[in-house]
Amino acid sequence: MTRFYKPIFTILFLFFATAAYAEKPVITITIRDHLFYPSEVEVPANQKFKLLVINEDATPEEFESYELNREKVILGKRKGVIFVGPLKPGVYPFFGEFNMSTAQGKLIAK
Amino acid sequence: MLLNIIVIVLRETLEASILISVMLSVGRHYRLGISWLFIALMAGLIGALFYALNLGSISDMFDYMGQEVVNASLQYTIYFLLLMVCVAQYHGSSKCLRYLPMLMGSAVALAIVREGGELVVFYSGFLQGGANFLNAATSGFIGLAIGMSAGALCYYALAALSSLQVRKTHIILLCFIAGGMVLQATQLLIQADWIPAYEAIWDSNWLLPESSITGQIAYAVFGYEATPSLLELIVYLSAILLMLGLVLLRRKLAADPSLNVEK
Repeated sequence: MTRFYKPIFTILFLFFATAAYAEKPVITITIRDHLFYPSEVEVPANQKFKLLVINEDATPEEFESYELNREKVILGKRKGVIFVGPLKPGVYPFFGEFNMSTAQGKLIAK
Repeated sequence: MLLNIIVIVLRETLEASILISVMLSVGRHYRLGISWLFIALMAGLIGALFYALNLGSISDMFDYMGQEVVNASLQYTIYFLLLMVCVAQYHGSSKCLRYLPMLMGSAVALAIVREGGELVVFYSGFLQGGANFLNAATSGFIGLAIGMSAGALCYYALAALSSLQVRKTHIILLCFIAGGMVLQATQLLIQADWIPAYEAIWDSNWLLPESSITGQIAYAVFGYEATPSLLELIVYLSAILLMLGLVLLRRKLAADPSLNVEK
């Protein structure tokens, strides 16, 4: 049976390994006092990138965007990684669901 | 601020509430009682607390993709449970109905873990901040009440159907709810970069904005997505068709004794 499993595992391993190690640009956004810094971020269009969200507040926040189809809870004093794109050039608003009145921002894909 | 909290709680409650109302209606149809629901609610609440308390370590798993992976697993499991709930009803013998309360209870409990966990995290923020907790709790209660009313409305709408129509309606509703679960889970794995991302094939935000209340209800009930990619569309439709197909196959097997190997 191993001769069947081996190639399958190799393919699976390669699949995940490529996904994990492919170089992707990292864009960092910081949450402080329920605000996003920077609140307007320029990101590369037509390319997948990694959004690193650092929450400096003590309280949790949920990064959310309908336009990007993304939602993720980032606990207080922690960070979270969200993969985004490839995006067509344009403006993509996002917000912090737990503090919607202040935590607003947008990604500008160019 | 208060309105925001009502909306947050409503959004998280709606999905579980609709699922519970359909499950209750299925239970009513087969006279299964409601003790399974109480156990499911308790298990779900304990699970949600456990999820929220461990969200830090969950998030750090799989290269910071733990949240996506765990949430997606929960939702794929709910899909599987709902599929079993539908198929079990067409088994043709009452033997299988015995498993219904357990299957329905598990689905409800997992849905509460998924949605309730986020609410616990949300409210933990107010506890840390100290201020406005009572305010937030009151608004949350209103959101919860609206969500539960929507569930009650759905339950009584189903109760008004004749027993012949109601089973088919259950199956169709459950197929869409389950399809929505699979779609949401798949989107989470796309977000985690475990599944490739593709361009959206259409944008129906002009017709029904995803951020609107109706859009949110549609998202909660059947996984409405205004900008799906081809992959997402295929996954969604396959999940629904697989479920419908298995139900029809099961019904055919149950109706034809010569094909029924178990008898």
